[in-house]
Amino acid sequence: MTASTDLKMTVYASLFVALIAVGAFIAIPIGPVPIVLQNLFVLLAGLLLGPVWGLACVAVYLIIGLAGLPVFAGGTSGLGKLFGPTGGYLLGYLPCVFITASVSKGLGKKTAFDILAMVLGSLIVYAAGVPWLKAVTGMSLEKAVMAGMVPFLIGDALKIVAAAFLAKTLRPLMKL
Amino acid sequence: MPTAILDIQDLSFIFDDGYIGLNRISLSIRQGEFIILAGKNGSGKTTFLRHLNGLLRPTSGRVRVNGKEISTHLIETRKTVGMVFQDPDTQMVGDTVFDEVAFGPENLKQPRALINEKVSRVLKALNLFHLKDRHPSTLSGGEKRKTAIAGILVMDPKVIVFDEPFSNLDYPGILQVLSTLMDLHRAGQTLIIATHDIEPIVFEAGRMIIMENGSVMEDGAPLDLVPCLESYGVREPCFSKFGLQPRPWQK
Amino acid sequence: MAEITPFTYRPGDSSLHFLDPRLKFFIVSLISVSLVGAGFISTGICFLMLVLSLKKTGLHFFSILKHLKLFLALLFFIFLARAVTTQGDILVSVYGLALTRQGLTEGGLVAFKFFAVMLTGLMFSVTTRPSSIKAAVQWFLKPVPLVPEKRVAVMISLALCFLPVILRQAKEISDAQNARCAHLQKNPVRKTMGLVLPLLKRTVLSADRLVLAMESRCYRDDRTDPEFNPSGREPLFLFGTLALCLCLLLC
Ligand SMILES: Nc1ncnc2c1ncn2[C@@H]1O[C@H](COP(=O)(O)OP(=O)(O)OP(=O)(O)O)[C@@H](O)[C@H]1O
Ligand SMILES: [Mg+2]
Repeated sequence: MTASTDLKMTVYASLFVALIAVGAFIAIPIGPVPIVLQNLFVLLAGLLLGPVWGLACVAVYLIIGLAGLPVFAGGTSGLGKLFGPTGGYLLGYLPCVFITASVSKGLGKKTAFDILAMVLGSLIVYAAGVPWLKAVTGMSLEKAVMAGMVPFLIGDALKIVAAAFLAKTLRPLMKL
Repeated sequence: MPTAILDIQDLSFIFDDGYIGLNRISLSIRQGEFIILAGKNGSGKTTFLRHLNGLLRPTSGRVRVNGKEISTHLIETRKTVGMVFQDPDTQMVGDTVFDEVAFGPENLKQPRALINEKVSRVLKALNLFHLKDRHPSTLSGGEKRKTAIAGILVMDPKVIVFDEPFSNLDYPGILQVLSTLMDLHRAGQTLIIATHDIEPIVFEAGRMIIMENGSVMEDGAPLDLVPCLESYGVREPCFSKFGLQPRPWQK
Repeated sequence: MAEITPFTYRPGDSSLHFLDPRLKFFIVSLISVSLVGAGFISTGICFLMLVLSLKKTGLHFFSILKHLKLFLALLFFIFLARAVTTQGDILVSVYGLALTRQGLTEGGLVAFKFFAVMLTGLMFSVTTRPSSIKAAVQWFLKPVPLVPEKRVAVMISLALCFLPVILRQAKEISDAQNARCAHLQKNPVRKTMGLVLPLLKRTVLSADRLVLAMESRCYRDDRTDPEFNPSGREPLFLFGTLALCLCLLLC
């Protein structure tokens, strides 16, 4: 049944490509900074699809955005976005999903370890995104951190908790 | 007498959780037959249909298509038995109607020129050609169902299996699908239609199989079986309820 | 996707629409890269050309601005950051931050160029059918080792099919929940779960059904390649672009 498992993972990975794309558009209004769901879906892709398919999923998302389908935030696409000021966050999703998936898989898919894996993954996104933002805008590192990381941390914590629960409920449903 | 195209012997299927999905079904279906598969929700219609092109494998018993065992002739079976699923939204793969219909032949790695010719022919035959560049999700319910049928027809199947082809359709939608079905029947296709609303097709079909709890309960001419439908949880068509003469939906 | 962004494909008959997507992609990338080294005047020329050709596709400049609000805010931010951090002749100085003339031009140019690159990308999205984009991606990935380009192409199609399904379901779920006063829920984790869990459950089910539909239509990795229909104007566009890029790099 390997052919069929392959097909199933292909379809699930494509589903997450679409979710990550939609995640850039749907936000849950809470407090001053609305919670954008994109990185939640990236983390979930890592937890549910595993390192290889998770990576494939984010790579395909970036490829279609680069190739001109309007799947980046604000309905944008193309080189300008991927290498623009916020491009670091997008490219950071690649190591993020891989590390999250590997850590979670390596430690045995327990909720506590999933949370650890996602914290690591989210930090990697900032490690890629903030210096990039600094380089493109020419701000100081301090300012880049204040503008490009601090406002999102609370939202990230909430999303990580939610993602841990979601992974726990969805794994049996997806028979992974 | 035409030979049997589908031959099902003693087919049983048990789900992973131990639930008995199908219970010792034996049937033989001949080329050109128009069959209604009736039964209430959960009676096992979908489970049965999925055995006909190898999406589920029998726990015991066998299904043969054209005399060949399914499990060893999977691709051939899937070309011979086309399946139109219940929910057209989740079976669309292409981003235009044309691409959607071309998906099957592309999988068979047919040459591009042949694909283009076949897809255009099928779209024209189903009166969908003017929609070929539309995104499938923007079509009306009836058009979606017809697109799904086109995607199957283009693979030249011998048998077409429909799961609830009339669900979620309005009256014009039902008529559209119905007239497509009738055209297929006249062209000599073998049709198997699972439904719990037999009203639109009861007059046209030549045979009706009633299922309950995974077993075949009745098998015979539709108009003869109409009176016992309600005891199996299927709504009786209005005409027989009110003692009227049966009249086809289509003029 | 048209519900969430205006920057999707718009059918039309401009010569850009009929250009071979591979060449179009090459052109767009070339212009984007050349813009990085461009000066004010040549960026201005390029910008004018972009705005004019976008107009032909029916997208109005002001509606573009409206939808790019966030991006424009980011550009303004970059402009400010550059303006105060670049050394040079001081124009005004507030709270120890010195606004320099060099900074203003430098920041203005960077923001302007980013905006032009963004418009180039939009131009491509608006005039290229998703299926052509998919075909072009497959073609470009072919020589890349270790990347199964046909699989990638199928994933792109599937992702495009899931988009409308996800959007529709997200809307249905949030409507259903608001009808039951879900907006009173203050716990943000619960609130997120309340939307995302049903959304994922439903979409995973449709993914399962899609797997069946693809299997029954004989899906295999080794499929017919897409075809390209060049319009014949490709050399013209190629030389035009090369000239434009030279101009961008030299002026
Ligand atoms: N994966 C599964 N595991 C266990 N039981 C299942 C599974 N799938 C279906 N069933 C059960 O098998 C029975 C038959 O289901 P099936 O979908 O074949 O019915 P149906 O006649 O097609 O019904 P409907 O009219 O609702 O489509 C149902 O009682 C259902 O609960
Ligand atoms: Mg069913």
